[in-house]
Amino acid sequence: MAGEVIKPDLRFVKDLIESGGETLKKCYQCATCSVVCKVTPDSRPFPRKEMIYAQWGLKERIVSNPDVWLCHNCNDCTKYCPRGARPGDVLSTVRQKFIEENSIPSIMGRIVTQPRMTILALLIPVVLFLIILGSTGHLGIPEGDIVYSKMFPISYIEVTFFIAVGLAGLSYIASLSRFWNSMKRLNRTNYKKGFGTALTETLTEFLKHSRFEKCGPNADRKIAHMLVFYAFVGLFITTLWITYYYYVPKIHSPIPLSDPMKWLANISAIALLVGSLMIVSNRMKDKGFVSRTSSFDWTFIIIVLLLGITGFLTELIRLAGIASLAYPMYFIHLVFVFYTIVYFPYSKLAHMGYRTLAITYSKMTGRDIRL
Amino acid sequence: MEKKYGVYICKGCGIGEGVNIDKLVNVATKSMGIPICKTHDVLCSPEGINLIKEDIKSEGVNALAIAACSPRVKFEEFDFPGTITERVNLREFVVWTHEPNDEETQSLAEDYLTMGIIKLKKGDLPEPNILENLNNTILVIGGGVTGMTAALEAAKAGFKVVLVEKESELGGFARKLYKKIPTGEVTNRPLIVDTEIDKLLKEVEGNPDIKVYKSTRIEKTEGQPGLYDVTISSNGNSETIKIGAIVLATGWKPYDATKLDYLGYGRFRNVVTNLEFEEIARKNNGKILRPSDAKEAKRVAFIQCAGQRDPNHLPYCSSMCCATSLKQARYVRQNQDSFAMIFYKDIRTPGRLEIYYKEAQNDPGVMLTKADVTGVSEGSNGTLYVEMENSLLGEKVKVEADLVVLATGMIPTTREPQLYLEGLTKASTQGDEAKAKYIEETPKPEFILNLSYRQGPEIPPLEGAQGFADSNFICFPYETRRTGIYAAGTVRRPMDMSEAQDDAAGAVFKAIQCLDHIAKGMAVHPRAWDITFPDPLLLRCTACKRCTEECPFGAIDEDEKGIPYYKINRCRRCGTCMGACPERIVSFKDYSVDIIGSMIKSVESPDEETFRFIGLVCENDAYPALDTLALQRKKIDPSIRFIPLRCLGGMNLVWVADALSKGIDGVLLLGCKFGENYQCHFVKGSELANYRFSKVGETLNKLQLEAERVQMLQVAITEYDKLPDMINSYIERVKELGPNPFKGF
Repeated sequence: MAGEVIKPDLRFVKDLIESGGETLKKCYQCATCSVVCKVTPDSRPFPRKEMIYAQWGLKERIVSNPDVWLCHNCNDCTKYCPRGARPGDVLSTVRQKFIEENSIPSIMGRIVTQPRMTILALLIPVVLFLIILGSTGHLGIPEGDIVYSKMFPISYIEVTFFIAVGLAGLSYIASLSRFWNSMKRLNRTNYKKGFGTALTETLTEFLKHSRFEKCGPNADRKIAHMLVFYAFVGLFITTLWITYYYYVPKIHSPIPLSDPMKWLANISAIALLVGSLMIVSNRMKDKGFVSRTSSFDWTFIIIVLLLGITGFLTELIRLAGIASLAYPMYFIHLVFVFYTIVYFPYSKLAHMGYRTLAITYSKMTGRDIRL
Repeated sequence: MEKKYGVYICKGCGIGEGVNIDKLVNVATKSMGIPICKTHDVLCSPEGINLIKEDIKSEGVNALAIAACSPRVKFEEFDFPGTITERVNLREFVVWTHEPNDEETQSLAEDYLTMGIIKLKKGDLPEPNILENLNNTILVIGGGVTGMTAALEAAKAGFKVVLVEKESELGGFARKLYKKIPTGEVTNRPLIVDTEIDKLLKEVEGNPDIKVYKSTRIEKTEGQPGLYDVTISSNGNSETIKIGAIVLATGWKPYDATKLDYLGYGRFRNVVTNLEFEEIARKNNGKILRPSDAKEAKRVAFIQCAGQRDPNHLPYCSSMCCATSLKQARYVRQNQDSFAMIFYKDIRTPGRLEIYYKEAQNDPGVMLTKADVTGVSEGSNGTLYVEMENSLLGEKVKVEADLVVLATGMIPTTREPQLYLEGLTKASTQGDEAKAKYIEETPKPEFILNLSYRQGPEIPPLEGAQGFADSNFICFPYETRRTGIYAAGTVRRPMDMSEAQDDAAGAVFKAIQCLDHIAKGMAVHPRAWDITFPDPLLLRCTACKRCTEECPFGAIDEDEKGIPYYKINRCRRCGTCMGACPERIVSFKDYSVDIIGSMIKSVESPDEETFRFIGLVCENDAYPALDTLALQRKKIDPSIRFIPLRCLGGMNLVWVADALSKGIDGVLLLGCKFGENYQCHFVKGSELANYRFSKVGETLNKLQLEAERVQMLQVAITEYDKLPDMINSYIERVKELGPNPFKGF
């Protein structure tokens, strides 16, 4: 008889339970979750099947399953679950494991996704920066006007970050292509759409955040996520812009506040702060059911919040002219920048690519929903 | 007894407004010649009752007709010991179901009163038939948990007990178990506990009122409740003991797993049954070593319903296997790295076991999924693959496992003898040669009771019972179709150990009730008040054997000439023999072919255009259903008169002939449902009535009447709402045929 061979894995079950899926064993497969979910496809809907994969520790199926990325974590399923199995939380834990399992090298996945390793993850850039600064004789508070490149020359930053981000990017591309290929391998239907069309649709949808609107009880998450999303877009543009200033018109920082680049930078920073604070308050709000978020999710949002706060403080302290505080704050800010942009294939930020591909693929295979 | 008659008519509950009471009094006094006939506004009131009691005392009235409400109500008020009391149902059968002050309604009331008085005149005051030298010892067959519990319960109730076990040790299957599910208080921990079977064993063997026979079988059981002579044999030595009642606790046998070769049993060494799994766990004190290489099995798959709920194997649920697998999963989980996988059709954990199930769901190492297991295959090193379809894990998958446990089910020990005997009966109908061949070629299974009854040596099979020794699981648990023999535990229906212990107490209680009733000359059940008994006029017996063959309870043996011999303590007083007898020689003091026949014959049509019907109704289901429809004031055609029968099995064809030849337009028989979902209080009564009914055509042919005039309908007690339509449409159909041409002859 044909049929896929299944090897249940007790260790993986326990791992999921310990990582925030402690309610997964409560599921008795009634499929209420799949019925109430507004973003699940009609055929082979989630999260019912993901719940039993989790119960049986079917790691292979979970780490190649695009459906977990179709979920936008509105927690309708958790609200209506008759048995308190909290499918929303289980799925979000599954996504963490997904990122971890798909990480290249896998050690990075463990360091970044597991909250208890966060200190180690932060220590890496700290040590790295200290070595660079120490070996080039830049360790210390420079005299005179506060110009951050006096402590950390732009070229050093660029070399360090280009190399680190470049490596991370390569690893991310490898992970994504592995994911893409496994989706294609498991596919059983004909493609209904081309990749280009599907991807364009997906990206358009992202710009509008239309899928978030489907998530009934958590509709206000749309604004928060949108703010953070556009903040990152703005800050990305800012980074390109300042690099352009540095090399082409050779305008060096600090850039005056009146400069349009500075406007964009500050607006994006405010959006990031407001957005991440909204996310935090959202998670703490009582929505008629006990809301819980895995520590993995908490780690990331706190890092983003700290990224925004330290960024602002760096600017404000510089303007206030307190050098002894400004330079260390800049150092701390750079650590969070490092975490955010170098670790993105292993942090929550990795969802960008996985989600884009999963939704694109769902459109290609006709498993999309009407928004 | 010299009878002094009295008729008492109640005017309450609408009777006085619905019918002309003076005319009824006239029927009693003038037509029927009853000297005392009194009326009262509320006969069941203390004044009304006093009126009757006064007559009994001062006038010596001892045969009373109470024309009031249904005999199913007010039976405590209208209870006059030492008298024959006949209830005439004027309330439910007349005024509540018919138009008031109508000519037909009045005629109906008068007919019912006449029939009641006829029954009073024809009947006699019964005296109990108490046999002598009754024994009170309770024999328990089977020394498993059920049998041992039954023995203890009987001893505690003050009875002497004989416990017979065929094995050399008591304990049954419980002795083979590693652990059991905790019973008693609802707690989640511990999840598995010791069976403590030795404790029970010691208690039984140390009880001075329990005599234990081990390695012993029943060679012969003869006699009847209170007077059994049971011959037991142990190592070639036989002994006959006097027994009063029997508790059958012979339990179950596991389903033959070799029939499940598609699940790999017999083909792969690492496929075992749940019973074998207990042995594996017990042998290594909980460590699960697989048979092929004695390596620890860390991935154990349990296949539920291995043979059960499968028309090709056992069509029923064995009830205990789901909980057993959940328990055995706990054996596996004693090693924290091992896990159990359970593949089920549906998990069935009734009652408090649901908590046990939920607790298992919480264990990450107990993995559950619904699945249709299609097969088991073997890979290298003894690794097994459980193949399945429609599982929650996907449409078609196979799951890797180190050991596969088949949750096989229970077959009652009564099953094999039944199958053998059924085959024998079948072979016998094909002649002596076929019979001899059958006996020679078929291995004879172990018999349990070896009854010396005319109807065979074992508990007879029952449609739908699948070999289990029960007779009516809703109304009369524990009762087999052999009075005095009460089934307990898994021989009665599939159940778990703790249910079996409750069952043991229940069956013992029934055995004690049996001893109590036979000592009073009363029927044991369901007519637990009845002291009448069948009293055949054997002089006229033609030895046709219909009664001995048809008695649903095997109460009648026969001598070498074929003359029936009643073992009265086995009799349940249903009257099936009375209905069966073509010579009409079987009578009870208050129930006979003549009594019912005379009642039928008393019904007359006032003219040739008026229709009259007789309804012979089962008093256990149809009669209460009629009462209920009356309570709801449903209307039925006034041309039908109902006569209750103890059981439709007592229906004698002569009544149909009598009725039709006298000009009655039709006879309607209302019996209980029969077949697999039978409801008959006497198991086979309505079925036998139906069999006899199939012969009614001959009678009708002789009379040149249409077959539609006689009809039998099955009705359950709950179907009162359908009953008016059933009755009325029957009457409509017959009315279309026109009046009975014999009317007026």
